Amino acid sequence: MELYSESDKMTIRIYDSLKQVLDPELGINIVDMGLVYSVILNQQEGIAIQMTLSSKGCPMGDAIISNVEQVLQEDFPEFKTKVELVWEPKWSSEFISNKGKEDLGYYE
Amino acid sequence: MSIAINKNTSASNVVLLHYATAAILFFFITILLLISCESFTGHYFQPKVLAITHLATLGWISMIIFGALYQLVPVIVDSELYSTKLSVITYICFVIGTLLLVYSFWYIAIGLTIQTAASVIGLGATLFVCNIFFTARKATAGNIEINFILSAAFWLWLTVLIGTLLAFNLTYSFLPKEHLYYLKIHAHVGLIGWFMMLIIGVSSKLIPMFLLSGILDNKKLQVAFYLLNTGLVGFLIDSIFLGDMSRSPIYLIILLVGIAFYILFLAKAYKSRVRKKLDIGLKHTFIAVVFISIPIVLMILLNTSTITDPNIRLHLSIAFGFSVLFGFISLLILGQTFKTLPFIVWLKKYGKISSKVRTPLPKDLYSEKLAKLQLVLFIVGYLIMVAGILLAQVPVMQFGAFALVIAAILYNMNVFKLVFHKTTILENKIIANGTV
Repeated sequence: MELYSESDKMTIRIYDSLKQVLDPELGINIVDMGLVYSVILNQQEGIAIQMTLSSKGCPMGDAIISNVEQVLQEDFPEFKTKVELVWEPKWSSEFISNKGKEDLGYYE
Repeated sequence: MSIAINKNTSASNVVLLHYATAAILFFFITILLLISCESFTGHYFQPKVLAITHLATLGWISMIIFGALYQLVPVIVDSELYSTKLSVITYICFVIGTLLLVYSFWYIAIGLTIQTAASVIGLGATLFVCNIFFTARKATAGNIEINFILSAAFWLWLTVLIGTLLAFNLTYSFLPKEHLYYLKIHAHVGLIGWFMMLIIGVSSKLIPMFLLSGILDNKKLQVAFYLLNTGLVGFLIDSIFLGDMSRSPIYLIILLVGIAFYILFLAKAYKSRVRKKLDIGLKHTFIAVVFISIPIVLMILLNTSTITDPNIRLHLSIAFGFSVLFGFISLLILGQTFKTLPFIVWLKKYGKISSKVRTPLPKDLYSEKLAKLQLVLFIVGYLIMVAGILLAQVPVMQFGAFALVIAAILYNMNVFKLVFHKTTILENKIIANGTV
């Protein structure tokens, strides 16, 4: 029996793809930063991303979102992509993954 | 984490202009320090000390603070800067007014020259305050950072007003008490009301953001806000309306407790941080916070000790002023430059193309090696300079000032490396300053 369905595998591939997008200040990818809240894959509607930014009004936001769209178009040209910026829940440092914390020297 | 930057391009240019001007003037301050160390062995009310102090407070510190606020306030309130034109006029007023004022002090050109300088600075400060107030009017009630910033803007305006009255008083002598009495009020309102209040407002927003601190309670900041304002208002009422400074130690305690609450807030932010590796900008910042202890000790000595020797008291006073302006505020600004300027430049150069081609990160746009060397030289120069002032030893001061000149040159090299950063696209890759 397969551990992951095809849809799960695809979602994992999308997350891997999003890891190419870095936060310019920290040099850490947006997935490990905890900025990506949800990835929804729908064969008809394409890929829908819900994400946030570390602070409201962050001007790097345009560059980061543009990067997300670019990366998804390159890796998944067969799907339409939609990136939605949300502010709830408010981003907190607790959302950073263990890998992200490790890169930030949290465990040193 | 990305530093918040104004999206308005013309506003970004104004911000860059402020940073570049402030950096150049900072270099000139260190040169003036080097060539006039002898002046720091006597009374603070003398031409060269006043000239350097005003170049530092207006041309360097206030200039860069203006630039930073034009960037930060719109982001905090999620709105555009009220008027870029006003910010340009303010800039022109401050550059002309400050240079004229420094000239007036240096060459003792009292009369029309200093009065014109003070009036032009007064106009600039008024326009700045209007611009910030109109930008911040959309802020939600109770936003503690904005409360600090608006309060600081008001104290700046009052500081400049008192300064302008003093400039006219040099000729017309209309103030009821002696000139030095009001000079003390002018200095205290400027240092605590404008600089300290502003630093708390800005750093309480930026430092937890840069450190990726956990959720912080703003109560400590609110207590600091009320204590600092209460201490200052009390000091002003006593000194101006009652003509009595005998209760100053009480207000000093209130102010120190306020500053202590701010430091406790920072300590909490530091402890709860996820980002353990401090970059060069944050290293500057935390050393500056530690260095705040030096002027605090000097201030306590001046206000509570039994030191009566007038010469020693003068040395303590000059060392106090120098350590606030250089050891704390300037060091903080040097560090924050590396936390703000690279992002402004990165956004201008790479913001629109970063998704299409590989780009350098903001930290790649300046030399960290130069910044580290600058930090070491600045600390060494500052500490030697303070020792020289306290001991009234000119050669020691000159040695310290020389280290500060080199630090200022290194700082300027990085600032202008950033300001003139060129982007070259080559075979779909971006070459930044010659490196891929």
